[in-house]
This record gives sequence, C-alpha cells and structure tokens, in this order.
Amino acid sequence: MKHRSIILSAVAIGLAGLIASPASAQEDTLRIRLNADIRSTDPGINRDANTDAVVLHMVEGLVAYCEDTSVGPLLAKSVDVSPDGKVYTFNLRDDVKFHNGAPLTADDVLFSWKRYVDPANNWRCLPEVDGRGLAKVVNVEAKDAKTVVFTLEKPSALFLTVLARPDCGETAIYHRDSLTSDGKWKDPIGTGPFKMGEWKRGQYIDLLRNDSYAALPGKRDGHTGGKAPLVAKVRFPIIPDSSAAKAALLSGGLDVIYDVQNSDIPDYKQRKDVTLREQATMDINGLLFQTRDPLLKDVRIRRALTLALDIPQLVETVTEGASKPSLSIIPTPSSYYGKTQAELPKRDIAAAKKLLAEAGYNGQPIKMLATKRYPSIFDMAVLAQAMAQEAGVKIDVEVLDWATLLDRYNKGDYQAMSFSYSSRLDPSLSFEMISGDKDAQPRKVWDNAESRKLMTRSMEISDRAQRQALFDDLEAKFRADAPMIVLYSAVETSAARANVQNYSGWALGQPRAWGVSLKSGS
Amino acid sequence: MLSYVAKRLIWTLPTLLLVGFVVFVIVRLIPGDPAQIILGDSASPEQVAALRAQYGLDRPIFVQFAFWLGRAAQGDLGRSITDGQAVLPLLIERFQVSAMIVFIAVGFAVLIAVPAGLIAAWKQNSGFDIAIVAGATLLLSIPSFWLGLILLLVFGLKLGWVPVIGYTPFSQSPTQALLYIALPVVTLTLIETGVLTRMARASAIEVLRLEYVMHARAKGLSERRVLLRHVLPNAFAPTWTVIGLVLGNLLGGIAVLETVFTLPGLGRLLVDAIFARDYPVVQGCLLFTALIYVLVNLVVDLCYPLFDPRVSAS
Repeated sequence: MKHRSIILSAVAIGLAGLIASPASAQEDTLRIRLNADIRSTDPGINRDANTDAVVLHMVEGLVAYCEDTSVGPLLAKSVDVSPDGKVYTFNLRDDVKFHNGAPLTADDVLFSWKRYVDPANNWRCLPEVDGRGLAKVVNVEAKDAKTVVFTLEKPSALFLTVLARPDCGETAIYHRDSLTSDGKWKDPIGTGPFKMGEWKRGQYIDLLRNDSYAALPGKRDGHTGGKAPLVAKVRFPIIPDSSAAKAALLSGGLDVIYDVQNSDIPDYKQRKDVTLREQATMDINGLLFQTRDPLLKDVRIRRALTLALDIPQLVETVTEGASKPSLSIIPTPSSYYGKTQAELPKRDIAAAKKLLAEAGYNGQPIKMLATKRYPSIFDMAVLAQAMAQEAGVKIDVEVLDWATLLDRYNKGDYQAMSFSYSSRLDPSLSFEMISGDKDAQPRKVWDNAESRKLMTRSMEISDRAQRQALFDDLEAKFRADAPMIVLYSAVETSAARANVQNYSGWALGQPRAWGVSLKSGS
Repeated sequence: MLSYVAKRLIWTLPTLLLVGFVVFVIVRLIPGDPAQIILGDSASPEQVAALRAQYGLDRPIFVQFAFWLGRAAQGDLGRSITDGQAVLPLLIERFQVSAMIVFIAVGFAVLIAVPAGLIAAWKQNSGFDIAIVAGATLLLSIPSFWLGLILLLVFGLKLGWVPVIGYTPFSQSPTQALLYIALPVVTLTLIETGVLTRMARASAIEVLRLEYVMHARAKGLSERRVLLRHVLPNAFAPTWTVIGLVLGNLLGGIAVLETVFTLPGLGRLLVDAIFARDYPVVQGCLLFTALIYVLVNLVVDLCYPLFDPRVSAS
C-alpha cells in the first residue's frame, strides 16, 4: 500500500512537471514556423529564403527595404550621392552598438565589405558589384570613423537596391568577432534587434532579445524603421508538414504561421482564436512557354492561349480568392505598378480559336510541366489545361519534383511550364529575370533584343518618370510577344494566434518578429 | 561462432561497397542540381558553376566516387552540401531519434502481437480469432501517416494531452521525451502489431498441427502449459525473423511519421536530402541504413538458436 502511494505521488509530480514546464518555457517566447531548416547564419553566403528571414533578425545593413519596396537608411544616418551618380557617402549612426557592446564604426563596414568581395566566400551578390552585373564598385574607403565612401565605375540606379536585398544578406555589417581566429564564420555578432540563441539543427532556432538595441524612431517599415524587440525570445520551430504546423498552431504549440496554404484559409476563417492577415508579395506566378519550340514559336498560339484562359476565375480558384489577377511581370505591390500594368484583357474563346486556325494548330498536345511541391503551381497547370480545352488546345500536365522542374527551367527544356518566380524588388530586375539571350542563358523566357536594350537603360537612369515610361513600353512589348502568361502576384496569408499583437506580413514575404508582442493571459 | 560472425561481417563490406556505388550513380542520374537548388531561380550560370566547383561536382563521376570512397574508408562521409555539417555525426544524431521510436514501438508490438496471435491460433475460427484477424488486417491496412494525423488531431489537438510538435532527447528530460514520442510510438506500435499478429498466428497454427503438440496434450498437460512450453517457443522463431526485417525496414523508413510528428530522425533527413539533392547526405543515409539492416539481421540470426535449438549458429 505504501509502495503504491509512493508510485502514485511520483506519477503525479511527473505529470505536474510535464504540464507545467511547456507553459513556463513558452513565457514571452514568440514561436514562428519555418518549413525547413536554415542553411547557415552567415548573411548572403550559403543561404535561402528561410536563412535570410532568420539572419536578418540579427544583422542589419547600411540601407534596407521599406514597406513600399523603396530603399531607406538603416545603419546609415544618411546617404549622399554625388551629382554624377558615382560616389555614395554613407554617414553612420552614432547610437548603434553590436551585440557584444562594441560601437559601429567605418572600420566594421570595411571589414565586412572585404569579406563580401572575397571570391572565396561565394557571396551571393558579388557578381552584382564587381562589374559583371548591375554595378562595379571600384573603391571603398573610410573618410573618418563614421563615414564610408563607395565609388562606382559608372552610375547605377540599382546600387542601393543591391545592398538592401535580403538575398545579399542586406550586405549586413557584422563585428569581426563573428569569425573564429582562423577566419571561419562562427556566430553573427550584428546590430539587429535579436541575437543568436540556440540552433538545434532540424528542430528549431532560438533568437534572444537584444536589450541594448538602438531602434530608429517611427513605426516598423519593412526592414527599416522602428524595429524594437518586444518579446524576450523568438523560436523558429522547423515543421515541414503543413498539416502538423496547422495542428500546432490550433493547439497553441505555435504562435504564427507566416505563409499558410491557400486551401487552409477557409478553415482558419472559422476560428476565433486565429487572426488571418493577407499581404501581396513580390513573387510572380504564371505559365512559361518555350518560344523555340516548333509549335509554340508561333506567337499566335501563345496569344490564343492567353485569350483562352479565364484568368480572374483561375486566380480566384488557385488562391481561394486571396490574390488578384495580374498579367504584369511587375508585381502588384511595386510602386511602378500602374494603369498599364493593371490592364486585364477579357477571355475571348472565339478570338483564340481564330488565332489557332490561322496558325494551323491541329490539336497537337502541349506538355506543361508542374510540381506538387508548391500546390499553386500544380493547380495553375490543371486549371489552364481545363480552360484551354474549351478553345480546342490540348495540354498534357506532367508532374515533376521541384529540383527536376528547376533543372528543366534552367536548361529551357520544356514546351510549357507552370512556374513561380521569387521576389524581384525592382521592375528592372523583374524584366531581367525573364529577358535575355537564350543561346547564352537557356533559362531566359523572353528573347527580344530591342526590349533588352530598354531594360538595360532602365537600370542606368534614376529619374522615376523616365523609368515608368520605359516599364510601360516594356509591358506592351512583353504582352505582344506573350512568352509567358503572368497570372498573379502571390498573396501571403499569415495566421497568428489571438494573443499575438501587431504581427503582419509584408511585400518581401518574410516573417518579422520585431514590434510583435504577446498578450499575456490568453 | 566468432568465425561465423567475422565471416558475416566481412561479407558486409562488398554489400556496402555495392550499395555505395549504386547510390552514388543513381543520385547523380536524377535530374536536379544541388548548386542550383541552393542558389535558387535568380542565380547566374557563373554562380552555379562556382558552387559546383566548390563541392567538386564538376569532376567526372568516377573521380568523385574514388574521392568519396577513399574518405569513407577512413570514416569520413563528407559534409552536407546544404549546411556544411559533417555527415557521419549527423547520421548518428538522427539515428538515435529513429532508433528510440522504432525499438520501443516494435517492443510493444511484439508484446501485444505474440500473445494475440497465439490466442487467435489456439481459438482458430472462433469469434475471438475472427476479431483478432480482422483487427490485425485493419491495422496493417491503415497508412501510417493517416493514423498518425488522426492521433495527432485527437490527442494533440482536441484533447491536448500531448504536444503536437517538438522533440526532447531522453538524456535531457525523460518525461518530456516520453510525451513527445508517445504518439509516433503508438502509431508505429499499432501498425506493426497488425503485421506481427498475422505472422505469429500463422506460425502458431502450423505448430499446433504438429505431432508433438498432440503428444503433449495426450500426456495430459494443461492447455496453458502446451501453449507456453511447446507452442510459443516454436511459433516465435519465424516471427523473430520477421521482427528483424521489420526493424531493418523501419530504422531507415519512418520518414513519413517523422515528418508528421516533426521528429528530427534519419528518415526525414534522407527525404529532405533527396529533395535538396544533397548528395553526401543521401549517400551517407543509404549506406548507414544498409549497414544497420545488415547488422540487425546478423543479430537476429545469431539469436535464432535461442528460440529454435534445431538451428545452430555455426
């Protein structure tokens, strides 16, 4: 009898411990789901979207993207550009300290830059600043402890854009103690609102509040603005399966899913303990055509396919009504998305049939590649298949895994493909991602020499009105050639538990934990 | 006995070499480039080429294999292309998670399935037998991911008895660890109980028909003694072989459950590595799984004489 009571007591204590410990562990911890582990903590080096999302909570660049995808100062107090557009002078803020307490100086900028441009480190954006891409930086020097001067070979409208890009690691400035004594990357010692906690590979990444973070005044503004950390800890649990993530959110084991599946939206809408927020992102979804294919090289067939699709209906179905249809390669949140870009031709089956007949189309099957890795890519292909059939076009959908699809895309080895482009943050870059010489780069969808010249021009001039005119012209040419059918800019829908305050997505589609708090007692 | 073990282990080497070579060739034949996947759709061809060169992927495949083999012989399975981690420690760490779940689940399954199979065989064609066979057939027909998700929804979401996501090693907190692995273990136990019950029942029916059982009954032994002393040991031997196969399969193949329950096990590591075309990790996982399979079956064979003295280890 005595033994039994001892065992029962032990069980009771154990159970109490089990119940108590998760709750105490969660106190003031914001948990945001990641669908896969990060690759490293080295900004802009060995990275992917998840890596950028986590790392940019810890490190910051001289400039960063604002909410409207323009570029604003972050670690720089101001940026002065010389009249000839070649010299950029960054005046550093005085109040910024690294996680180890050291003040930010021009020397730290030079140290970080030197590491970025060392080819051995494979910085993602090196080709953009060494003359192969958008700009060529010929000199970087410290004028004094708080002033750094970058000199370009020739003016570039996109230099600050490159520095601010998340996939470039925001060209973040980090302290030299981020490296081991033999020069290897250790942990990020940056200036961000959070600092490195524990990284349990395959399970979670913990970030801790930087109590001495020097926040800019004002509201949260993209990756700049007021970035005060309000929670003591951010945990990014790695949950690959979306059903498991949903179950975790609904059971209170998770606070935020920043990119819920469209098919789950109606279910979440029924729940009072979950808040949904929608935000258009810069990702572009659409159907690509191989313009060198014997059949699809005829522009009339490509135009006929555009006319055959009921694009508003297709987008409504694929996105559960979350996204608006758009035929422009410029994403809808862009400040360059104007009237020309918003134009939406109506479905016209008769006109499509007429074009097909003129082109001599006799029902030859068109193979469209898709993947189920991203459900929207598969859904777009299936709906296009059904809609095109009404105009007499036969589409066969072939499903591949994402890696194989990407391989076929890069080789240009397809007739048609349902595809999703990651964010490009400037219209010039949007056109650059699809236009080019197919002989040199088979992945390029649109090979039009005249348009390429316009695109190059748009990268050199800074005047906004002139750029808008160029983009409108490019838009018209793109639609006339119809090398792809853009369907929509993705909308990211986040689901947060009701106790999460002030969480919102943004155009870049990555989670932000700063400015977010947890309401206690919920 | 020792020479038998040594001989079996020596034969393992050509098996692993063959597995290593086949895997090496096959993963490289699958379309998809790890460098391209890492760099994404905006990478330039030069960047992709540079990353390929960094990992030696631009060399001829046989040169790559020779390098890999040379290092593998010294216990170095390379580094993950995705995150730069050393493959061998990664495999060992992930294997511990899978092994804990599989061993506990199969242990429970044996404890349930063997008596259930024995009783079903003893009461063959009775309502009891039909119920057990139907139950076992149902269990082994249920897809593990579906059962896992249902348990997750009921016990994790609706009742809130166990956490839905997460994992804690036993060494860190045994009670937390038990909570996290409870549902995957129950799922796997139920599925494997179905397989093993059918096997145990079939073996027991065969043994019950043998003459020595009739002889034992004729001697006037109680049914309980007949079953436990004469039927159980002989019926268990074939089941033991199946347990070996089940263990081997599960240790490398519970990726689906590990994904559903967000467990950092070997199976999930392999699936993630295949999607990322992380060649060193894929090779390491499959080689490791093959090794485990061979070792588990060696242990099973070595233990076989304990259950069936007619079989000698020599």
